[in-house]
Amino acid sequence: MWTLFIMMVALSAIMSAALPGKFLRLLNFQSMFSQFPEFGLLSIAMMVAMISGGIDLSVVAITNLTGVVSALILTRMIPAGMAGPQAFIIMALAVVTAIVISGLCGLLNGVVISKFGVPPILATLGTQGLFLGIAIAITEGHGISTFPEKFLFIGSGMVGGIPMPFIIFVGVAVLIFLFMNKTKLGLSIYMVGSNPTVSRFAGIDNDNVLIKTYVVTGLLAGLSSVVMISRVNSMRPGYGAAYLLQAILVVILGGVDPYGGFGSVLGVTMGIIILQVLQSGFNILSFSPFFKKFIWGMMLLVVMVINFFVAKYQQRAKKLGTQPVESVPSPGE
Amino acid sequence: MKLFDAVKTYDYRSLLKHNETFVFFVLLGFSIVVTIINPSFLSIENLFDLAKSSAGMAILAIGVFIVLLSGGIDVSFTAVAISAQYIAVKTLIILGIDNLALAFLISCSVGIALGSINAFLISIFRLPTLITTLGTLSVFHGGLLEFVGSTPFYSGQIPDCFKSFGLAQVFTLVREDGTKFGLSLYVLIILGIVVVTWIILRYTMLGRGIYAIGGNREAAERAGFNITRIQFFIYCYVGFLAGIMAIMHLAMIRYATPTLSIVGTELSVIAAVVLGGARITGGSGSILGTLLGVALIVALQKNLVLMGLSSYWHQFLVGLIIIVGVSITYYQSLRRSQQRVVFTEEL
Repeated sequence: MWTLFIMMVALSAIMSAALPGKFLRLLNFQSMFSQFPEFGLLSIAMMVAMISGGIDLSVVAITNLTGVVSALILTRMIPAGMAGPQAFIIMALAVVTAIVISGLCGLLNGVVISKFGVPPILATLGTQGLFLGIAIAITEGHGISTFPEKFLFIGSGMVGGIPMPFIIFVGVAVLIFLFMNKTKLGLSIYMVGSNPTVSRFAGIDNDNVLIKTYVVTGLLAGLSSVVMISRVNSMRPGYGAAYLLQAILVVILGGVDPYGGFGSVLGVTMGIIILQVLQSGFNILSFSPFFKKFIWGMMLLVVMVINFFVAKYQQRAKKLGTQPVESVPSPGE
Repeated sequence: MKLFDAVKTYDYRSLLKHNETFVFFVLLGFSIVVTIINPSFLSIENLFDLAKSSAGMAILAIGVFIVLLSGGIDVSFTAVAISAQYIAVKTLIILGIDNLALAFLISCSVGIALGSINAFLISIFRLPTLITTLGTLSVFHGGLLEFVGSTPFYSGQIPDCFKSFGLAQVFTLVREDGTKFGLSLYVLIILGIVVVTWIILRYTMLGRGIYAIGGNREAAERAGFNITRIQFFIYCYVGFLAGIMAIMHLAMIRYATPTLSIVGTELSVIAAVVLGGARITGGSGSILGTLLGVALIVALQKNLVLMGLSSYWHQFLVGLIIIVGVSITYYQSLRRSQQRVVFTEEL
């Protein structure tokens, strides 16, 4: 965990030094802090799914679908010049619809994975196509844009100089932290991810836990879509496709074991910040999107290889007795 | 008499247990429905055309099938294919050579090289296959676009060898009005690959090893199989197949856009393989099933409009088919393992 923290601080320092006058500006920080929450929420969603021992490849597709539906509500149901309170109700309806649909998507994922026994990779690969397909079919590939101004506050507004999305993200992160570490369901997710057979014999209803896990993942994706569409003021199917790889990168960077059972919100958050700092730096340096794609992929591979060596070193140190036996070797430490 | 007895006494009920049977009947039913709407669907000409356009996907599907057999998954094959294609075409254009053999050589070499990177990461570092290949997908595609180039090559710039290859036919038939059509050479190529793959899987130790790793990696290791070598073969073979497909694809569509084509079709290919009965946990599946799966997906692709659905529904249908198909398959084995009181969970 400390290595992550050091990495985060070091990277920020390098960026500030290498890009004098451009990185350490309030505007830049505000821009960073309003950009990463939508992606951060997706990463936390991915984290929850991975801790349970699975993966959710459909998070971005869920975002697309809920975004499209909300966007439709916002644009079709609010004629210009509608009175304030009425418009507000419809905006609230859009948000609620996003939550409900994302929850249903997550429910589908959970049911297919637990009740039908389909491996999460395959299930979410299929639902990804399903959800994205519905979004594409509804919009016929076009984008939907121009939402009511009041609604845009969610994504672009500021409270005392702090971007609204960031406030939302912090709130959700704290909530998920409490959920994963202090509630019975949260701890059950860790256990199911760590060893499903043992957790079943320990009396945990694996199916129930898994369904709820993916519902939570879906809800987080839905929340992310609300932030996304209000920040960019539009939604198009296919938007955010790059987020999937980045979410996986951030989650692995943050110390989550892809095989399940380990991970923390704090680690993932630091991973998110590291990624955003890099992203911001790349933008200032005008890297092409191709080069960025290349780098994210490289980083994912490099991080996993490093994890491999760290785990190997820890194993060897344990065998030689030079390290006290920890209860569990945590990858990424 | 003997044949008649054999037909009479064949265990037909066992057929029902096989996934391939279901896919076959779905395909049959679908074809009947489409033919009712548009009788020209079942014409020889249309079938030849279908065979040609599905050859590319079929080759990729066989590669993915082998990876799935070994218990892994590879989503980077599309990036490998487009890289092989673009590098081959760019090299030929820059050098001004118009040689199909050279194109294949470059394409397959690139495919094998990229595949070996996958193999290296997966076998030496024991990295999880899905995430690794997700990473290499980005690395290969991003790297191609950034370091090799992203400018498309259009029909006028493509060397002639590709065009003549794309039009090559095994035999030609003449219609009533004198125009010709024929069975594309592609069908021979895919048949050849199917035969080679089948022989490898069935009659070589390597093939046995692939099934073994997919079934239980540790047991395979203890039985003496060289896991590293087998995995290197698997991922390089996928790359090799991707290289072949790359040239065939280029010859068929006659332009190379590295940003848009091939990459993005991973879902359809994996859907086809999984529909055909291959398990994602490895160890089971058949080439026939894979080919049937490809046929179904391609038939869907080509006939969406005929059925009154706009092409925008394609993605949705592929996803739906995967979900329904795998739910049925995996549910069956879930029930079976519950009945036998088996508790090992492999998520």
